[in-house]
Amino acid sequence: MLGTQIKDVILKPDAPSSLLLDKHADYIAAYGSKKDDYEYTLSEYLRMSGIYWGLTVMDLMGQLDRMNLQEIIDFIKACQHDCGGFSASIGHDPHLLYTLSAVQILCLYDSLHAIDVDKVVEYVKGLQQEDGSFAGDKWGEIDTRFSFCAVATLALLGKMEMINVDRAVEFVLSCMNFDGGFGCRPGSESHAGQIYCCTGFLSLTGQLHQLNADLLGWWLCERQLPSGGLNGRPEKLPDVCYSWWVLASLKIIGRIHWIDKSRLRQFILACQDEETGGFADRPGDMVDPFHTLFGVAGLSLLGEEQVKAVNPVLCMPEDVLQRIGLQPDLLS
Amino acid sequence: MHGRVKVKTTAQQEEEKRKEREKKLKIYVAARDACFSKRKEGVCDDEALQLTQQLLSSNPDFATLWNYRREILMHLETVKDPDEMQKIYEAELSFLEACLKVNPKSYGSWHHRGWVSARLPRPDWARELSLCDRCLSLDDRNFHCWDYRRMVVKVSGVPVDQELEFSDRLIGSNFSNYSSWHYRSTLLPVLHPQTRQEPPHASSPRGPQSHRVCEEQLLKEYELVQNAFFTDPNDQSAWFYYRWLLGRAEREETISCVYVSREDERVAVAFSRPINARCVGLLLVLDGQPLRVEWRSVHPRFRHSPVLICDLPPGTINDVTNEHNLTVHWTGNHTHRDCALYTGRVESWCRDTATDQELFRSELSVEKTSVLQSELQSVKQLQELEPLNKWCLLTIILLMRALDPLGYEKETLAHFQTLKEVDSMRSEYYSDLCCKFMIENTILKMEYAEVRVFSITDRNLTSLCHLDQLLLVTHINLSSNRLQRLPPQFAMLQCLEVLEADNNFLENLEGVYHLPRLQEVSLKNNKISTLTDLQPLASCPELKRLDLRGNPVTQAASVESDLAELLPSVTDLLL
Repeated sequence: MLGTQIKDVILKPDAPSSLLLDKHADYIAAYGSKKDDYEYTLSEYLRMSGIYWGLTVMDLMGQLDRMNLQEIIDFIKACQHDCGGFSASIGHDPHLLYTLSAVQILCLYDSLHAIDVDKVVEYVKGLQQEDGSFAGDKWGEIDTRFSFCAVATLALLGKMEMINVDRAVEFVLSCMNFDGGFGCRPGSESHAGQIYCCTGFLSLTGQLHQLNADLLGWWLCERQLPSGGLNGRPEKLPDVCYSWWVLASLKIIGRIHWIDKSRLRQFILACQDEETGGFADRPGDMVDPFHTLFGVAGLSLLGEEQVKAVNPVLCMPEDVLQRIGLQPDLLS
Repeated sequence: MHGRVKVKTTAQQEEEKRKEREKKLKIYVAARDACFSKRKEGVCDDEALQLTQQLLSSNPDFATLWNYRREILMHLETVKDPDEMQKIYEAELSFLEACLKVNPKSYGSWHHRGWVSARLPRPDWARELSLCDRCLSLDDRNFHCWDYRRMVVKVSGVPVDQELEFSDRLIGSNFSNYSSWHYRSTLLPVLHPQTRQEPPHASSPRGPQSHRVCEEQLLKEYELVQNAFFTDPNDQSAWFYYRWLLGRAEREETISCVYVSREDERVAVAFSRPINARCVGLLLVLDGQPLRVEWRSVHPRFRHSPVLICDLPPGTINDVTNEHNLTVHWTGNHTHRDCALYTGRVESWCRDTATDQELFRSELSVEKTSVLQSELQSVKQLQELEPLNKWCLLTIILLMRALDPLGYEKETLAHFQTLKEVDSMRSEYYSDLCCKFMIENTILKMEYAEVRVFSITDRNLTSLCHLDQLLLVTHINLSSNRLQRLPPQFAMLQCLEVLEADNNFLENLEGVYHLPRLQEVSLKNNKISTLTDLQPLASCPELKRLDLRGNPVTQAASVESDLAELLPSVTDLLL
């Protein structure tokens, strides 16, 4: 018989095993100052989300005041277009992905008043299709990620009733698969990132009972590999960001205890860079703000007390959501 | 940044790299700015195509540049003839192919390809399908390419059986290919649907899992998937697929129980799935007259619940000398259930039992026992070769449950024990699944015995489920388990009179909420530590007896007087 080679990594005995909060805060604080860096410029197309990742992780670490509030608010305002949507950066086109990021950042700063909220709502509403799905922008790409972006944006703005929620739910449910998971579109394979979007979507729309939570939970807990890390699909390598997508989904469906939390914690901690600060996807790889947020947020869901509690649906600090009075459903 | 290994470099290398990056940055920024300013001026020329191509070749995630290209192409459509456009779009497809070679996982490139293909004057879908073949031969898990393939198949009308053959080929060359198994799960129900006579309203579109496959095809699939897991018993793809093949039968959407209490003048209704009291369209008819009532979930935490209750207007049914006929209509589903309350009776109900419905045996939907029996034999054979294979053990448990849940109970428990040892990372999953099965078995035993007593003690129970099945239970005994809470769902036990849950780890009693008949509660030796933990009990009007011995809360200074104030109906308090 052939044996399957399990795709996984081996944690080195000298890998970091404690949380290096100060280094991560320094890493994020310095990240935005390298504005004329080649790599930084290349990622301009996702800047708004990059800022959301950086600010959220700083807030979770209690270091939000180190970031330049005014500069960021001005930037966000400059990225709102006539249609109401936000672009990732100045000169780029608006998109739901960056509209959600912009609204999330404004919520972190309690500054929604700085923008024209009604126009944002109009923009989101205008992207809903006949079948209930959402296009990411006017060019029509359809994806359950955008369904999540739409309802998350509206939930943060307290305007959920402005779209056809029933139709939106129907579309997301039509993407449910044989394994209880979800993909990008009807018929697409299940993927932890999409599952996070769809469980988050169903939480925000009060429809979590539509899930087959036991079946989905089984698929999700089978994402944990011997290294303790989680992958995003069967037969794939573990990754800190998938650790977040899977863990948050399990939390939403009330089954976070189905994985081995201490082993996952070990894996996430091993993905820290002791020299530069920040987290990488896997031990020994290059760090970035994206994995740094999802590393810290994952640790928060695992009960890490040195950082703030994170909300599994919106990946924002719980205290921020309390302030705006938003409490997404979780299964018990 | 995914999968970029950090490399140690010397100071000199670092400096060289810095210079190189600076140079690249200058070129990049110049091209970007040129693109932006051209676009601002509304220029749609060849140079703009060149510039965006240069940038997108190295950075295909720069979505705005694809948008600009589309604007240019759409402009060209207004000035060129179809033959010229055909050439331009073909060039675009070649450019995209080059982009996808470098970065096969760029959302932007795949979306643009779909856009171009749809606008091509003379589309060549065969070419697109063969591109997918090539791309999947390099990475058979690339979900972008799979999604693109699905689009091509749909638009160009590729027959479903041809696609099934494609997945045969992929699985034939590599069993461990989750994407292909997934694809089969979407194709089979279309190609070989189950031919069950069903009224059209009974099946609502609720995800592809509701579409089952006909039995003849199922048998072929069993053979294929068995080949896979006998070849590689640790390949999870095949096992996930197998569990789906054996999947739970879809339950019809029905009213499973109507219960009416004369004294409380209350009706409780259980449904086969959770529903929303506000939008569901329930109609209550009493003695031929529709009655205006307000349906609500049993606990404010649930908007959707499988049990709904309503209070009847005072005086409607409380005279014990009257007989009443009650019908609950679920208008949206064209289904209803009657319940007669005879003279002299204080309560009445009408229901399908779990045993009637074979509710828990239908975990596996294949009806022929012989088929399941032979499946069990083959998986057991494999288990002899691989005694510690977790997939095998779990599948054996599932098959045994489908065949005879009570008969195989002992073996099932032993297999769960082994599973927790060989796959300790997921031991809590197995614990919860085991609890679920034990609760199901206890419900079956209770119903065979035709009693309203549910007792499951000393079984290491960690969680409760199926509480909607316990609507009629009057006595429940959960003592000597590992429960930490009685969850909000517990409020579905609308007939409960006696609750025993001694020797657990209970600290949360949220679900002991508005239980109209509850009289006795025994919670000896739990973890109840504050008066607030006991707050839910105050909503149970008939509570007379409460045993809290062995709980931290009994140590509090003024506990007795505080409890007297919180629970004035209690006359028999044990601390």
